[in-house]
Amino acid sequence: MFRVFFIVFIALSIVYISLSLYSRARARARLEEEWSEGPQDLPQEAYVNAGLKAYDGSLRRKLILGVYVVPMALVGLIIYLTNFA
Amino acid sequence: MRYIGWILLISFWVVVGGTLHYTLPQRDIVRIVNTYEERQELGDWTRVFWSRPDTQSDTLINRDVQFIQTVRANGRPMVYRNEDTGWSWPPYFKFDTSNLYTEAADRVSTKDDPEWVMITHYGWRNEFLTVFPNAISIRPVDGPDASKGLPWVNILILTLLAAVFYGIWVRWRRFRRRRIDPTLEEWQDSFEATSDAIAQKRGRFRRWIDSWRG
Repeated sequence: MFRVFFIVFIALSIVYISLSLYSRARARARLEEEWSEGPQDLPQEAYVNAGLKAYDGSLRRKLILGVYVVPMALVGLIIYLTNFA
Repeated sequence: MRYIGWILLISFWVVVGGTLHYTLPQRDIVRIVNTYEERQELGDWTRVFWSRPDTQSDTLINRDVQFIQTVRANGRPMVYRNEDTGWSWPPYFKFDTSNLYTEAADRVSTKDDPEWVMITHYGWRNEFLTVFPNAISIRPVDGPDASKGLPWVNILILTLLAAVFYGIWVRWRRFRRRRIDPTLEEWQDSFEATSDAIAQKRGRFRRWIDSWRG
């Protein structure tokens, strides 16, 4: 049982880390594009860093935690339906 | 070569279909006749058709298994095994084997005064390999012709799987059209160009030989 938990946790962590890195890279690309189209009153680096700080507090980043939450909720639901419903 | 491709393709889909048919839940309307326990040998390859309720059971070569004996609405017998799936495959997370055994024993009925139930199960019955479907839940129904309800779990899972397969297929085709086909064409073009050049040279050589014949 604990072996299964461990393997699933490792697998989900790999998915979580890859997804966070991908999402952050996309946010950075979007900010850089925004800067080059905008008035450019800030240097690019400052503009992108401020944007990424906002991204770090955003809901989108927290939604990636669903990688852990959704399978756990699904397993909980199946356990309830199979054994107690 | 073309036959090998076909055989591979057909075997792949037979394995996928078989796995799904074995794993997805199915419902039977039956009358419970008896419940019993029997020691089962688990030492050969048919081990895959028995559950792994806990980690100890991996190393056991035999253990007691609970069974539920039933008669279907059409009068033919069906025997289910009653085993925990635990945390292993298939992911039913069944832990209430003893409770299900009690429910089944509580609903035993005779032919004269039948009590019909719907048993949800997965797996196959095979007499030659001594394989039994695993009962998941028991619910009382009105009679032998009662509706089994819409198999919405199967619909959901099959739809999701079809979407995933379609997504992979579309991306593979796009990849092939963009990357593999142009490369193959390039190879073909250069091959044809080379063989044309060779043919031309040979033509010149032949003309030269012919010029000697006069």
